[in-house]
Amino acid sequence: MIEIRKNTPLEKNNELYHRMIEEIQDYAIILLDKNGIIQNWNRGAEKIKLYKETEIVGKHFSIFYLPEDLANDLPGLLIAKAEKNGSASQEGWRKRKDGTKFWGSITITALHDNDNNVIGFSKVTRDLTEKKIAEDHLKMSEERYHKMIAEVQDYAIILLNENGIIENWNAGAENIKGYTASEIIGKRFDIFYTKEDRESGLPDRLLNEAREKGKAIHEGWRMRKNGSQFWGTIVITALHGKNNELIGFSKVTRDLTEKKLDEQRLLTYTRELEIKNSELEQFAYVASHDLQEPLRKIQTFAELIQTNYADEAFVKKYFEKLDRSAKRMVMLVKALLNYSRLDKDKSELTDVDLNLVLDEVKQDFELMIEEKHATITSEKLPVIKGNQTQLGQLFANLVSNSLKFSEDKTHIKISSHIVTKNQIKNPPLSLTNRNYVQIIFEDNGIGFEQQYEKIIFSLFQRLHGKQDYAGTGIGLALCKKIAENHNGYITAIGELNKGAKFMIYLPVDTD
Amino acid sequence: MQCLLIDDDLDDQEVLIMTLEKINKNITYATANTGVAALDVLADGQLKPDYIFLDMNMPKMNGIECLTNLKKLPQLADCKIFMYSTTAENAVVQRIKELGAVDFIVKPASPADLEKILSKILGN
Repeated sequence: MIEIRKNTPLEKNNELYHRMIEEIQDYAIILLDKNGIIQNWNRGAEKIKLYKETEIVGKHFSIFYLPEDLANDLPGLLIAKAEKNGSASQEGWRKRKDGTKFWGSITITALHDNDNNVIGFSKVTRDLTEKKIAEDHLKMSEERYHKMIAEVQDYAIILLNENGIIENWNAGAENIKGYTASEIIGKRFDIFYTKEDRESGLPDRLLNEAREKGKAIHEGWRMRKNGSQFWGTIVITALHGKNNELIGFSKVTRDLTEKKLDEQRLLTYTRELEIKNSELEQFAYVASHDLQEPLRKIQTFAELIQTNYADEAFVKKYFEKLDRSAKRMVMLVKALLNYSRLDKDKSELTDVDLNLVLDEVKQDFELMIEEKHATITSEKLPVIKGNQTQLGQLFANLVSNSLKFSEDKTHIKISSHIVTKNQIKNPPLSLTNRNYVQIIFEDNGIGFEQQYEKIIFSLFQRLHGKQDYAGTGIGLALCKKIAENHNGYITAIGELNKGAKFMIYLPVDTD
Repeated sequence: MQCLLIDDDLDDQEVLIMTLEKINKNITYATANTGVAALDVLADGQLKPDYIFLDMNMPKMNGIECLTNLKKLPQLADCKIFMYSTTAENAVVQRIKELGAVDFIVKPASPADLEKILSKILGN
């Protein structure tokens, strides 16, 4: 046929067309008959699949398919689909002549005669192996990256959108914060902040900072799902798109609660040590000064007696002074020992009925109460957890103090109330309980000027001369220490010549 | 020669006076049991002691505070002020000299020693 119509323009055109197809290198363009038998082969087909035209024409195109695709009759399915729909496209691994694989992107197109009967198929195949490998590589790397973040256990790594809505959740986030991904994705990240921080606008401040500066760093207490708190150190980093527009934030949180608690424990320990140390210094000063004083006097009086031995009146007078100094020395040593032993007494706290404690103290001071024509009135006092002996000493020293620093007809009024920490005026930092029992000892004695409120509780500090009022200067220091041993606090209000009011705060567990 | 003793300890006052009288029969002296009382006595400017012996540890106003106030009084411009206490800490000794005290006397246990110290001071 070709010979007869040689060199007609149409034939020339046809030939050109054939050559074009034949010489295309990058696409395998194959003609199949309607059963899928290869009729035709081009250079691209040879390049991709490595068969020569003579080797392959007449073979079925399923020769390029892998056993697993053959088992599913993929070639048959594609032909059937092309026959039905006009064409069928697919990508997949195919086999070259040498058995190596390539990633083919193929389109099979049905060819029809004038009566629209399928007479064969064209099959165009492109080798996208390199692209496929690159894509797979990228996909794998992305997957690994996602896995890495998802499976990090020790850091909560969260993706937020530009409004702070949580879009992504990892294992670390679940570990630290207690929420599962399905519970938390879609919520705003404020949920992790304490009520106070939310009210003060901390979450938005941090987002704004990250928006403006690129990142925001913060440390603070955060909330877990179960309401407990953890000490989180966080970094929020702004994420930007290609045109530098903000597309969201990454938020990395680490739970440093243990470290924080360790730090706090260390700090508390250090503070306690510092307090102990300064107490020891005070103690050393006291030992060197206040204990030396009566001792020095004993020596002085002894020498005076020795040099004035003949003067009987003189000797008598100074023997008495010597004796008083010796007694004072004994009293000081005893009081100091008592004070220093308070620290060592770590005995279990028991339920102490303060009414019974007061009764005992009243009995102990019976004589002094009588001498001073004193009266002690009290409301019903509570039962509290404490150290019975120390609370006894606390009450005894307060009663003794009121009796000492009053002229006559002393009246001591004792009452108690439950107060919250907030109701205590200028509470020290050491008060951490919510509720306290406030025990008040109020007297009508000589009082004191309010400016000396702190001094009266210091060891060996006195507001009056030793000859005016008795005492060692240890009693109220002892009261302070006992209150502190009970995690409480003692304070006083005074007015000169009107009276003094001592308030002791001891922690109680009431709601 | 006039002395002012400021000490809350009456025994120590007594021993000091006894020793001063032994050194010089013509000595006159005034006493105050607290720093506040001393400043009261000096307030009208009449009392002009040549020597002041000032205790360190006293209730309410301690020796350093008292010394600071004494140095403000014009009639004491030529007065020699000595601190007089049981124990002397270096920092305190340094401080009282800065404030204008002549010296720090540690109260001796022996009246004989006290007599030697006072003789030296009053003799100069």
